[in-house]
Amino acid sequence: MRILNVVAVLLALSSAFLLYGLNYDTRMIERSLHVREREAERARADIAVLRAERAHLARPERIEPLARRLGLEPLSARHLLPGPGLAAGNITTSSTSVR
Amino acid sequence: MSVAARIAGPDLHETSVAPRSRSRMLALVIALAFAAVGGQLVRLAWQNEDASTIRVSMMSSPANTLARPDIVDRNGRLLATDVQMPSLYADPLLIQDADEAAERLVRLFPQIDVRELRQSLADKSRRFVWVRRGLSPAMAQRVHNLGIPGLLFVDEIRRTYPAGRLGGHILGRVDIDNRGTGGIERYIDEIGASEAAVGARLSARAPVRLSLDLGVMHALDEELAGAMVRYEAAGAAGLVMDVLTGEVVASVSRPGVDPAVYEDALDPSRIDRIAAGTYELGSIMKLVTVAMALEMGRSLDSMVDTAEPLKAGRFTIEDLHPLGRPMSVSEVFIHSSNVGAGQLALSAGAATQKAFLQKLGLWSALKTEVSSGPAPQKPQQIGRIEQITLSFGHGLATTPLQFAAASAALMNGGTRVTPTFMALDGEAPVVRGERVVSARTSALLREVMRRNVTDPAGTGRRADVPGFEVGGKTGTAEMAAKGGYRKKSILASFIGTFPSSEPRYVTLILLFEPKGQDVTGGEITAGRNAAPTTARIIERIAPLLGVPAKSL
Repeated sequence: MRILNVVAVLLALSSAFLLYGLNYDTRMIERSLHVREREAERARADIAVLRAERAHLARPERIEPLARRLGLEPLSARHLLPGPGLAAGNITTSSTSVR
Repeated sequence: MSVAARIAGPDLHETSVAPRSRSRMLALVIALAFAAVGGQLVRLAWQNEDASTIRVSMMSSPANTLARPDIVDRNGRLLATDVQMPSLYADPLLIQDADEAAERLVRLFPQIDVRELRQSLADKSRRFVWVRRGLSPAMAQRVHNLGIPGLLFVDEIRRTYPAGRLGGHILGRVDIDNRGTGGIERYIDEIGASEAAVGARLSARAPVRLSLDLGVMHALDEELAGAMVRYEAAGAAGLVMDVLTGEVVASVSRPGVDPAVYEDALDPSRIDRIAAGTYELGSIMKLVTVAMALEMGRSLDSMVDTAEPLKAGRFTIEDLHPLGRPMSVSEVFIHSSNVGAGQLALSAGAATQKAFLQKLGLWSALKTEVSSGPAPQKPQQIGRIEQITLSFGHGLATTPLQFAAASAALMNGGTRVTPTFMALDGEAPVVRGERVVSARTSALLREVMRRNVTDPAGTGRRADVPGFEVGGKTGTAEMAAKGGYRKKSILASFIGTFPSSEPRYVTLILLFEPKGQDVTGGEITAGRNAAPTTARIIERIAPLLGVPAKSL
């Protein structure tokens, strides 16, 4: 009987220690989770800003003058060939047809 | 061991207690200990569950701020998005010298009223005063560098519009708490696509996809800007609409509004001339009049008496270039004869004419996602003179968007079109609206629209673009002013469609108060300015819209 009691008390003690350890680990994990979520949040904020900036830089108002300086021009009817034209093989690029 | 010894200890000395009750007590104590352990386990499990669902948010915005979905164009290009920006607030209790702090802050933000700021910073009873919301990171750094204690930052959600002025009228705007107060932004709140910012994540909401195409918008905007310079016009507006779905692919009104600039929206000269302004559109309305005549059984070749000017009371309606002979219905359209249109309306009768305008949706306000639309200005009663003026587009002022929708219905085979600024699912089959005119009428209208451009005498001949079968009708309306009409200030318009054998889009171009130029032979009629502008626009946008060019 006594041995049983001692064992039971020991068991209770050790599980208490185990629990304490578990609790501590959980808190640590929680803390690192917080840090990670904060990082994710910050990354999301950065992504939002970068997406907005990218869209702002790619706005047609800005791209068009740049493209024109590179010698590009809006697509027009004379750049397009109807279906049979392709089959006949008379494909010309805009630069060859202009000059 | 010591615990066990303590529990067992007294028993060794006090032999009076029965060993039986002793072991019972021990069992009870141990049971209690295990119960405590169990309880702790349960508590921990609960706590863990909470921890895994904790939302960490840096956005400590005020409770009434909204997090909004992105707005993208039909091709997914970003038009509006939420970003986090630092907002500057002050804790007056921590501010040592309110005067100095206010002065130094105002040097950075000249828009702030110094006296007001000084007053609120000196008010020690408050712990929270907004100084400036939505700073750029660079600006926040400069404030930080001032080193004034009591100035603090909080991250807030702010709306940005990367495309700038393009589409500003349609997007609308948001207030300081990121709530929609106009346009699509208000619509988003109405349909509940936005949510409270507290605990919300950025870009966690499905984007709102508009029917607009940013590329087409830009082409339209640029050509309109060019036309304003070329014809010295005071303003210009244009729209492109899908004839089957009613999707507005592009809508531009110059000068536009930048949704990020609050003052823009209040400036009456920046009104959205497509969806918010109503105008007497002039001769493009003859499209409707001819449609009505065709619906009543006339053919394009049936003759109309246009030999004499029309008389109605003290008014006499004359043509600009009278032929002095009867005209066919198609000639009335192509020569834009006011007398002919008037005769067609008179022979239809006032009741029929009104019913037809109602059927096309030109008699009542048009509600879209962007606004509930202004009510058209229409005559109280329709007598002889009203019938005649309505037939060539005077006496009834509607929004250009409304007229474009009516024209789309006339072009697409005759079914009603409901204009929308939201992209429809490309996969889903197009749901046709109810029939407004017969397929025959629609086919004949397409033919006469095309003829008006191909005919050497047609008013729309300068709108032609080789390969895209442009059809259209010009309108030159005198603009209404106080006490009558101003002869010299006109509204030149062009309703176009392409390709006219099987229309996919209608275009409506408006030029406000163009002047006579050398290039227009000194004329200000729409055939000399709005028509060639339409040609330039269609040439640019047709390839963007994937309309194949026919062999020349």
